[in-house]
Parts: sequence; structure tokens; C-alpha cells
Amino acid sequence: MSPSSSAQASVVLPAHLHARPAGKLAQSAARFTATIHIGHNGRTVNPTGVLALMSLGATAGTTVTITADGPDAQAAVDTLAEILTTAE
Amino acid sequence: MNRPVGIVLVSHSRGLAAGLGELLAQIGSGEVPVVAAGGTTDGGIGTSYDVIANAIAQADHGNGVVVLPDLGSAVLTTRTVLDDHPRPDVALVDAPFVEGAVAAAVTAASGGDLQAIVTAAKEARDVPKF
Repeated sequence: MSPSSSAQASVVLPAHLHARPAGKLAQSAARFTATIHIGHNGRTVNPTGVLALMSLGATAGTTVTITADGPDAQAAVDTLAEILTTAE
Repeated sequence: MNRPVGIVLVSHSRGLAAGLGELLAQIGSGEVPVVAAGGTTDGGIGTSYDVIANAIAQADHGNGVVVLPDLGSAVLTTRTVLDDHPRPDVALVDAPFVEGAVAAAVTAASGGDLQAIVTAAKEARDVPKF
């Protein structure tokens, strides 16, 4: 893995980005050193903030974009995308 | 991983504090010791020195405790407890009760230290609900 890399993914939400998945995302995002952003409908937040994630108001069927920069960017994007695609 | 910082929810209502504790468990407080300190000793509306002191002791697993009050005497009674038992690793935080607790719990569950959790809870005031 190169010392610095970036990664990106888009996920169509199977469920609303409500409290429970937001909590999971925030805890997971805190474990990576990469700088991560989650974008929805023109707004972008740092996913380590559980309240900021909920404030996106992202609903089922809409698309969110995950971007990351840093040594573990790809792992961060993969992990967060997995949480979002399996959210209930 | 270090044992997580504890969280105490001080409310005038036993049901309100307990319910917020249930919400935190759903959002993922996981291993974080969250202790509800709501109501008086007989379950009435109000705050109790003994209920709060016991909750702080119960939430303390060695890495400090963050105390979130709902209103008014929840702050005053907690201050009295902390004046009698001054500790650098127990922090009373001025934050919105629900949002602050959610931010604190998620940060504690991610392994955040006392200062990180205090900061996360306070930031809750500046994050719009929608």
C-alpha cells in the first residue's frame, strides 16, 4: 500500500441513515487514520460525528458518497460502504 | 483497548434517564458503562445526591466519568456531589441531554478518552438536528 492514497465509493442506501447505522459508522470511522468524508445531497460531513451523520437526513434509496484520503483510505471506504449497504 | 470512560445521565425523571440509556444501547454504547441517575430515591420527580453519587461510582471503571445533566437542579445536585468528592477524572458537561449523550456514548465506545468525550458532547450543541 502506498503511504498516501485516496479512495471513493457510492452507496445507494437500503435504509434510512438513522441513529443505529450512524452510531456504527461513527465508531468504525474513528478507527482509521485516513481523513474520511460522507456526502449526501450536496452536503459533506466527517463520519466520526454521529450527530452530523444523522443531520444529513439521508433516506432509503438515495445515494451517499464516501471519500477517504490517507494510508488506509481503501480499507476505510470498504468498511464504511459495507456498513451502509447492510444497514437495516 | 483501555476500559471505556463511563457516562452518567442525570435527570429529574427516572424514566427519562432510563429511556435515554436504552437509546444509547441501541445506537451502540456497547461496553461503555452508562448509568441512569434519574429521579429521587423513591422514584419521584427531582434529583438525588445519593442516586447521583452511586451512579458515578458505578460508572467508574478506572478511566473517568462524564456526567450529563438535564436541567437546573441536576446541575446543582451533581456539583454538590463533586464538591464533596472532588476528582479530576469526573467531568460535569454542559451539553444538550439527548444529543450530548449520543455523541458521548459513541465517542466512548470508539475508545475516546475523557477529554475527547467532553468535546464530543459539547459539540452536540452546534450540530443541527436536520
